[in-house]
Amino acid sequence: MANRAPMLRIGQQDLKCRQGCGYYGNTQFDGLCSKCFRERNDKQRKKQRASEYHEAANSAGGSIERRSPQHSLSLDRVKKKQQQQQQHESDSSPVATASTMPRKKFTVPAVLQKTLKNTFPAAVAQQQQHQPRIPSATESQFMLQLRQLRLPDDAKRKLKSEIQRLDHEIRKYMNNHSSKNVDELSDLVQNAYTRFADIVHNDARFEIATNEDRESAIDFFEKVVMTQNHNLLFSPYFTTDEESDIKVQKRIRQLSWITSKHLDCSIDEVNAEARDLVYNAISELVGIDSYYSPQEKLLCTVRCCRHIFELLKSSKGGPASADDFLPALIFVVLKANPVRLHSNLNFVNRFTIASRVMSGEGGYYFTNLCSAIAFIENLNNESLSIGADEFESLMSGAQAFSTPWESALLACESLHLISENMKCMEQLQKRNTAISNGIKDFERELLEFQREVTEKVDTVMAKAPLTLLPIKTPPHLIAQARAHLAQDGVEAAVGHYSSNLLSGAHNQHSLIAAKGKEKEKPVEEAQLEASHTLSLKDTSVSSVGRLSPLHHQLAQTDQLFASPLFNNYTPFDAVSLLEESSEHADVLMLGHEFQGGLTNINYDFDLSDQSGDNSVADDPKLNLDEFDPLAQRGIPKAPVVAETSVLDTTLDSLIDSDVPATGVLLPSPLKPEVANYRGFSNFDIPSISCNTGDFSSLNQDVNDPGQPTNNK
Amino acid sequence: MATTPRSGGSNSGAAQRPNGTSQNKSCQFKLVLLGESAVGKSSLVLRFVKGQFHEYQESTIGAAFLTQTICIEDTVVKFEIWDTAGQERYHSLAPMYYRGAQAAIVVYDIQNQDSFQRAKTWVKELHKQASPNIVIALAGNKADLSNIRVVEFDEAKQYAEENGLLFMETSAKTGMNVNDIFLAIAKKLPKNDNNQGSVIKPNGNEPTQTTNNCCK
Repeated sequence: MANRAPMLRIGQQDLKCRQGCGYYGNTQFDGLCSKCFRERNDKQRKKQRASEYHEAANSAGGSIERRSPQHSLSLDRVKKKQQQQQQHESDSSPVATASTMPRKKFTVPAVLQKTLKNTFPAAVAQQQQHQPRIPSATESQFMLQLRQLRLPDDAKRKLKSEIQRLDHEIRKYMNNHSSKNVDELSDLVQNAYTRFADIVHNDARFEIATNEDRESAIDFFEKVVMTQNHNLLFSPYFTTDEESDIKVQKRIRQLSWITSKHLDCSIDEVNAEARDLVYNAISELVGIDSYYSPQEKLLCTVRCCRHIFELLKSSKGGPASADDFLPALIFVVLKANPVRLHSNLNFVNRFTIASRVMSGEGGYYFTNLCSAIAFIENLNNESLSIGADEFESLMSGAQAFSTPWESALLACESLHLISENMKCMEQLQKRNTAISNGIKDFERELLEFQREVTEKVDTVMAKAPLTLLPIKTPPHLIAQARAHLAQDGVEAAVGHYSSNLLSGAHNQHSLIAAKGKEKEKPVEEAQLEASHTLSLKDTSVSSVGRLSPLHHQLAQTDQLFASPLFNNYTPFDAVSLLEESSEHADVLMLGHEFQGGLTNINYDFDLSDQSGDNSVADDPKLNLDEFDPLAQRGIPKAPVVAETSVLDTTLDSLIDSDVPATGVLLPSPLKPEVANYRGFSNFDIPSISCNTGDFSSLNQDVNDPGQPTNNK
Repeated sequence: MATTPRSGGSNSGAAQRPNGTSQNKSCQFKLVLLGESAVGKSSLVLRFVKGQFHEYQESTIGAAFLTQTICIEDTVVKFEIWDTAGQERYHSLAPMYYRGAQAAIVVYDIQNQDSFQRAKTWVKELHKQASPNIVIALAGNKADLSNIRVVEFDEAKQYAEENGLLFMETSAKTGMNVNDIFLAIAKKLPKNDNNQGSVIKPNGNEPTQTTNNCCK
């Protein structure tokens, strides 16, 4: 029960300060909050002092008399009060005998207020003196209910008078009889019930009432009388009810080690669902004490028992019989340990209409409750089918015990904590996922944005492509050259063409150089050379478009005639008929003197990528491997490399056949190096992975004299 | 489950009132079931009240307290059936239950000699402690398993006659003799006085086997 508040046995209204200030009251302060209590006390003290003074002046014995509660009540105070309130007077003037008072002082707090009234009636009387007479909430409620009863008006009047009569009888008995017996009181009330039932069934005033209305009239009669006299009839001070209450409470506490197994009942103590239902039953059972009238107490018992039946139904799969029910009820009573158990049972037994507890569902369950308590009180080792020694040691507390119920309660606490934490974690996780989702979204957006931007840029670029137009020789010059070629013979063409070239801005230097050479060379050679130049120029027009200017720059500026393209294009060249002499021309053209001039015309001479690989750079390329760290790490292995090398060799044979010296002559191998580097870098990374596991490549590396140091 | 006598009575009662006294007598009887656990006390009652065996309706919360109304001739008899816990350890609590009961059915299992002996002690106790004019019936339950019976029919019959008990062998499973035993009790009960002190609203002429709800 630790983490589940049992049903409140006191209404919220009862908890509030009686002064109506809105704060919670305290039974120790007569139901007032601390502030109101202090104020009232101050007032009282002042008043008392004043009256004491007054009384002392009047009579010497006054102050002594007030110390005895009965006497003080029976004195002038009572007289004054009687004018104001008849009922409260009798409430607060129970003629408590001196012998019962000390015992009553040490009872459960719930009866403290009553005890206070009994013990210090003077104070209570004083307090009531200050309060104007207001009909209590229950009283006005009863008036309303009376009005709602479907009875003729004179029947209602009769009902009311009967209620007042019984009320009066009870008070008279409580006030006047010197030796009180609760059984007499019970008989008195029962007789009144019988009498009233007689009236209801036979009196002419109730003639037209239906059976149900008669029943509700009887109910109402009982309810009103019992509620109004609850404080007199419930656990009267001249009975031993309170002792029994405390005894059974102690007993149940001692029996806390009892499990459902001991009782042979089918409650699963560790099942959470079952435990909830047990809690429901316990709440109702504890709640019995909070009702005033016996009917309500019985109804509450019925509710409690129905919870138990539900519980048993879920655990047994069918309607439970008494064989299952009684043990379960005993278990619930043991775990609930309700307050004032005997007082409540006796109150119902004595003061409800006898047939209520003898028949009907309420009667049946009430009987069960009574027998459960009887069982608990008379319980011994045999009734639990355990050994006498074990029973003794368990009862005395010598033997430690741990019931599933207790441990379930403990576990409940920790599980509660765990579930709290789990909830917290869940929330954190939710937030976490929310954040990571946000991250993902943001990432996606970013990519989208990037893509959009790229797209836009692309579209813009597609709309306005960067086209690099070849630098054109003024068309009229070409046309002139062609015209000359077409018109004149070969020799004449040479002459014209060379002159044309001279006039072209780009070719000035080279042609000057060529001219210089021409002087030394036979006319035929010069003629050939000129034709090559022409042919290259023509082809370059078509090829330049797809090549970047950068590439042009990188391309060997000075290798005009070393390109294989030179050979490739020759067939298209109408003029290049003399293959044999081309080599000579190359040699001539690659002379030192040509350097400057050739750089200028390198655009014209633009060639495909192959030019880099296949050109005169072949020779330097071999050397490059040794210098280029990338090339060394990267492997001679990639098949493409092998291919190029094959290509190289073949091309070497073509080109280099006559040009061994050209390698030496070439001023810088660096440019081809760049071309090579780019080529290799493409294969660089994959080739590393290849290399790690590939022994063949390792062998080759070892074989390669240029790489051993860096080899892994 | 058990409906209170008041429920639903307002309309029919109001309708009948103008006629003055009703033509039918009505009685309410408290009947206590005694017997060892697992002899089939509650099965017997469920069969009688709900006509069920093992197929329980959702509405049946418990079988410990049930009511059933039957009509014999011109009398409406309402049985209020109180089940008791049969375990030995709760034996001493039984008087609380049969206090004020007009009838009792002591049930035993014909396959179980012990249950028969327990039944005998119940009967003895009832004779000693219950109200003197209590009607006691002895029911040998699980008669459908008579081929493996332990308690002979004649033996039980003889015992019943000696002690002035009604006796039948019943089967909650097949329904054999279940209604009959309740009817026999109802016939034997004195119907002239209503010692419950509360007047039960008279019902119309209903067939004998009806539930309260059908009676309206």
